[in-house]
This record gives sequence, structure tokens and C-alpha cells, in this order.
Amino acid sequence: MSKFEVPVGPQHPALKEPESFTFVVDGEHIVEVRPRIGYNHRGVEKAAESRTYIQNLYLMERICGICSVAHTTCYAQNVEYLYEKEIPPRAEYIRVIINELNRIHSHLLWLGVAGHEIGFDTLFMYVWRDREHVMDVIEAITGNRVNYAINTIGGVRRDLTNEAIAKARKVLDILEERTKYYRRVAAAEPTLISRVKGIGILKPNDAVRLCAVGPTLRASAIKSDVRKDDPYSAYEEIPFNAVSHDMCDVFSRVLVRVDETLESVNIIRYCLDHLPGGPVRIKLPRSPPAGESVSKVEAPRGEDIHYVRSDGTERPARYKVRAPTLGNIPAVCDMLTSKADYTVNIGDIPIVLASIDPCFSCTDRAIKFVDPRKQKEWIWSHDQLDRYSRRKANP
Amino acid sequence: MTEAVVEAIIHIAQILLFPGFLFVIGLAFAYEWIDRKFYAKLQNRVGPLYTGPRGFLQPFADFVKLMAKEDIVPLAADKLLFNLSPNVAFALMLTAVLLLPISSLAGVLSFSGDLILAVALMTFFCIIVFLSGMCSTNRFSAVGAERAVFQLLGYEIPMMLAIVGVALGANSLRIADIVGRQAENLWFIFGPQAIGFGIYAIAVQAELERIPFDIPEAEQEIVAGWLTEFSGRKLAFFRLSRDIELVFVAGLAAALYLGGPLGPVLPGLEPLLYTIYFIVKTIFVLIVLSTVRALFARLRIDQMVSFSWKYLIPLSVLQLLLVRLVV
Repeated sequence: MSKFEVPVGPQHPALKEPESFTFVVDGEHIVEVRPRIGYNHRGVEKAAESRTYIQNLYLMERICGICSVAHTTCYAQNVEYLYEKEIPPRAEYIRVIINELNRIHSHLLWLGVAGHEIGFDTLFMYVWRDREHVMDVIEAITGNRVNYAINTIGGVRRDLTNEAIAKARKVLDILEERTKYYRRVAAAEPTLISRVKGIGILKPNDAVRLCAVGPTLRASAIKSDVRKDDPYSAYEEIPFNAVSHDMCDVFSRVLVRVDETLESVNIIRYCLDHLPGGPVRIKLPRSPPAGESVSKVEAPRGEDIHYVRSDGTERPARYKVRAPTLGNIPAVCDMLTSKADYTVNIGDIPIVLASIDPCFSCTDRAIKFVDPRKQKEWIWSHDQLDRYSRRKANP
Repeated sequence: MTEAVVEAIIHIAQILLFPGFLFVIGLAFAYEWIDRKFYAKLQNRVGPLYTGPRGFLQPFADFVKLMAKEDIVPLAADKLLFNLSPNVAFALMLTAVLLLPISSLAGVLSFSGDLILAVALMTFFCIIVFLSGMCSTNRFSAVGAERAVFQLLGYEIPMMLAIVGVALGANSLRIADIVGRQAENLWFIFGPQAIGFGIYAIAVQAELERIPFDIPEAEQEIVAGWLTEFSGRKLAFFRLSRDIELVFVAGLAAALYLGGPLGPVLPGLEPLLYTIYFIVKTIFVLIVLSTVRALFARLRIDQMVSFSWKYLIPLSVLQLLLVRLVV
């Protein structure tokens, strides 16, 4: 059979969000992959610049529907750096607890999706049923299931109640038991292993060269975790291991995420045992002093970077978000290209794409403008964009 | 003269009403419901719930809904083939079920060598799948069609060898004789043919395109595979043909391995009791098939074919040898 193109996306059952990958295939083998991102540009950064710092908390929460708290943590931290103020230790611990609960929820969600992508719907249904427990705990602590609205500038909005702590302890036991069970299933189920082992190889030096982040990088035998390398919140005081596996394939990524879930359970247990007393927030003035700052958080999908520039007013002068999936797109294209020593099949596309835990909607930021009909490409400066958005003049 | 007319009317009623088309179509909807409900139970879900008692009418409701939907034919498709293939698929499966012994020890159609026709009809169905995938000129359909034929190379040979084992055991290629043989002796599943039953259960999973072998219509990989371009009435008929095929493969398994409609009978009530036994046995086969579907992940096409050639075919040859030794 001759080579032809298979379009995966912008609308395709394997992708839950719009993004386009065009595969050149030879029979069942993939020869080349051409990604095209930018289908879901939502103008988050521009919106952030037209809102006050407090209003932006709600915007940042909604960058991602799954790792929502990672973005608000990153944002709140970033603004607190501008004030050069430390938040109370109890607030730091509560942030860690919510972030880790969020990581458990995200990783379990991913495990289910991964099962679904290889046609193992039973695993999908089971994992998502167990994921309800962690959602319930988060609801007991914060009052919400998806967008928790727990972080605020200067601390957290709610204190932990004793009932919530008791519930969390109970659920952690269930989660630990169930996650260990899934780890056993993943290591023993032959059809599952045959679909993930040796698939989507990303060699360690390629992972570094292509700037992979998070579990994708750690599954390529590189122990890089923002929580360890550049500790924020209370992570410096908490003993935990950065998980890494060295098989460099999808199976390795499954194991990294399952082991991280278990590690998160331990982190939360430690936090609940060593929860400091005192207030959970400090009052900060409405406008931070002029200056700029960068904040990094280990989101469930990897390193999340936020940048802020303040001009002393109540709105940020510039805000920039780099969601982790962006860092993983070059890596996933590398995984999907057949090389001399291994071939990638059409059947592997969904699971390999899913193996970076993509969150395309969070990723899309406008960088360059392309007019495919006129074959024109150009970049607008901030001022030009600003003028264009107000329709003052042709920039 | 009148006798001949009455006989003809009875025969036509057998074909059209019971145990022919109407009965089997009803059974097909019911079995889809059982399959979905049982599969849902295994996955800790509830499955169809609202249409009819416990969602019993859901498959029928789906069919009616699809019949009312817009029927789109792609501009570039081969119109004749595209319009014809759902009808042919439906006709093939309706013909196939006439061979099943349901209310008596022989099917509505029964002749020497009908087992060969039964197997051939299943293969024809796969060829229809290939043609309809290729004629719809969609890239996903083309890949799906290609996979369907590739998969046929994998599962058909072990399935046929398993069936040959049964034919050898009964010394006949006629389904009625095979059932009759089991009336005299033990059912074939008790004995070396049990291996054949296992092979058959795995192979039909591929024939029916169900997990772990739903490769030609793998949703996450190639949208709906060869079915991608079909909508409305055509999709409804393809789905109904699949359901009838489910009844057919379960019925064939019952006839070949579980003694067909055999069981303890009261004189005078044979047709009724035979039908009940047939339903009970096919539901047993159906539950085996649904369990297999819930247990595994989908294999890749190359893994499927190599699995089949590495394990299923040697096993089926072994089974043949055992049958020869025993008989």
C-alpha cells in the first residue's frame, strides 16, 4: 500500500480536546507526524491583564479543569513573591494537601483514560469509581469537586476541619489499597502489558533534548521533580521520593503515575500528622509593589511555570502561563515517529498520545500568526496586539 | 392439494415468524440488552435503564432512532455498493439463522453440508465488511477494512479447525446430525471438544468485532473503522445484523457443543421446551462472550494475528488429533 495521511484531530475520539496531528502512514506503520497546535486559544493571558489580582484567582483556577489547584497555587505563590511575604505554615501545609489530593485525582483519571485508549473499558470504569473517593474528600475540605477555590493571595480560604481530616484519613486507606491493586493488575494483565510495553519509546537524552517535563520525563529515567529540585510551599520539610522508572516506554509512564499516587498518599498522611497550628492566611494590600517574578509548581502533568510583571497597580501588567503539556508536545511527536529500531503502529497512536497526559486546552497560547492561504507568518508585539484588540488602527 | 398449501403456509410461517426472522430479530434485541446489561454489571455500572423495564427496550429504541436519522452517502463513495452492503449483510445473517436448530432438532433449512454454508456465511459477512469499508472512501474506513481482512486471516482458520473437529466427532457436516449425535452420546463440550469450544469462543469474539478483537472498529484509533461513514438506516441495519450474528454464533456454539435444543422433554411440548433450552444455552454462551469482553484490553492487529497463529492454530490442531484418537 502506498503512503497516505491519517488526520487525528482536531476532532477525533482519541483526543478529548481539539488539537491536530497529521500522521503519514505506510500501511499500519507511522512514517511521520506533523503536529499543529493552537485550536483552543482562549486568551487567558490577555484576560488576566484586564482583571485585578483577586479576580485572577478565579481565572487561573479555570485554565485547567483537572489540575486547577496547581495553577492557582502557582499564581498565588507568584503574587506572594511580588509582596515578598511568607504565608503562614498551616496554609502551606493545606496547599500541599490539596495539591497532592489533586495529583491523586489526576493520576487516577489518567489511568482510567489510558485503559480506555487501549480498549480496556473495565479498568476505566473501576478506576473512575475509586476516583470518586478522592473527589469526595476534596469536596469535604474545600466545598468543591473540580474548581476548589481554596487558594487565595496570602494563604488559603478555608481551614481544615476535624471531620474533614478524619474523612481524609479513611479515604487515604481505601485509595492506597485500590492503587496497590491497580499496580498489581498493571504488572500482571497480559493484554494490557502487550499494549504498553516497548511502545512510545523516549530515550533519556531525547527526553532532555526535547524538554519533556513531569511524569513523561521521570519515566525516561530522569529524576526531575520541581517539588524536589526547587521546593516550594512546605515540600522542603516533607520527606518523599521523586519517582522514576527507566523503561522509557508507556508502561514506565503508567508505573511512574501509579507510584506517584502512592507517594502522594504518604505525603498527605505526613502533612495531616504534622499540621502546624495558627492562622491560614495573612492580609495583603490590594496592589503588589512593582516588579516581576516567576513561580514554578509541579502540576500532575509536570512543571507549570507562571510569570508576572507588576507595575504597582491592582492589575498585572503582563501575565504568562506555560502549562506542562506544551513542554511534552515535541517529545510525543518523537515517540510517535518510527525509527530504525522500532516501528509505531496506527493502533499505538491513542495510548502514546495519552501517555503524556495531554491537556491541550490549557496549553494553547498564541505565539505566531499564520495565514495558510497567503503563506504569511508574522509576530505581533504586545502593543500591536493591544491596538488590534481595541481596533484602533491596523498594526 | 390443500395439504400441500397448508404445508407451504406452515413452512413460510416458520421462515417469517417462528423460529425464523421475527423470533430471531426479537431475540437479537433481547441478547444485545443482556450483553450490555451483563457487561455493565461486570464494570460496576447499571447499563441501559430507562426504556422499558430495566432498559429492556433500549436496543429496539436505538434501532428506531437510527432509522429516523438522516442517511448520508459520501459524495465520493461507490453509491451502489454503499447502499447495497447493509442489506446484503442483513440478508446474510437472516439466512444464516435459518440453519440453527431452535424449536426442533433440525433448522428450518437443513440439508447435508449446511455446516459449510453456516461458516461460509460468516466469512461472507467479513467480506461485506471489507467492501463497505473500502467503498466509503474514508481513510479510517479503509484502515478498518484492511484490518478486518487481516483479522480474518487470524481467526478464521482456528475457528474452522474447531468446527471440523465437531464434524469429525459426529461424522457429518449436517447440523441436525451433529445435534442428533449429541442426543445419543454426551454433549461435545464434555470431552476433547472442550478445547474446540474455547477456541470457538475466542475466534467468534473476533468475528463479532468485540474486545479484545474489536480492532477493525477500534473507536480510539480509527473512529468507527469500516463503519465510519454509515449513518441512519444503513447503520441501523449493520447494527441489527451484528446482533443477529451474535444470536447466530451463540446458537451455533449451542448446536455444536452444548447439544443444541436438547434437554429433558415432556411429550407434546417439544417445540416449546426445545426453544427454552435453546435460549438458556445461548444465553450461557453469550455470558461467556461478555465476560471475555470485559476482561481484556484491545490487542493490536499484528499482536492479534500472531496470537492466533502462535496459540490458537496449534491448539486447534491438537484438538483435532485428540478427537481422532477418541473417536
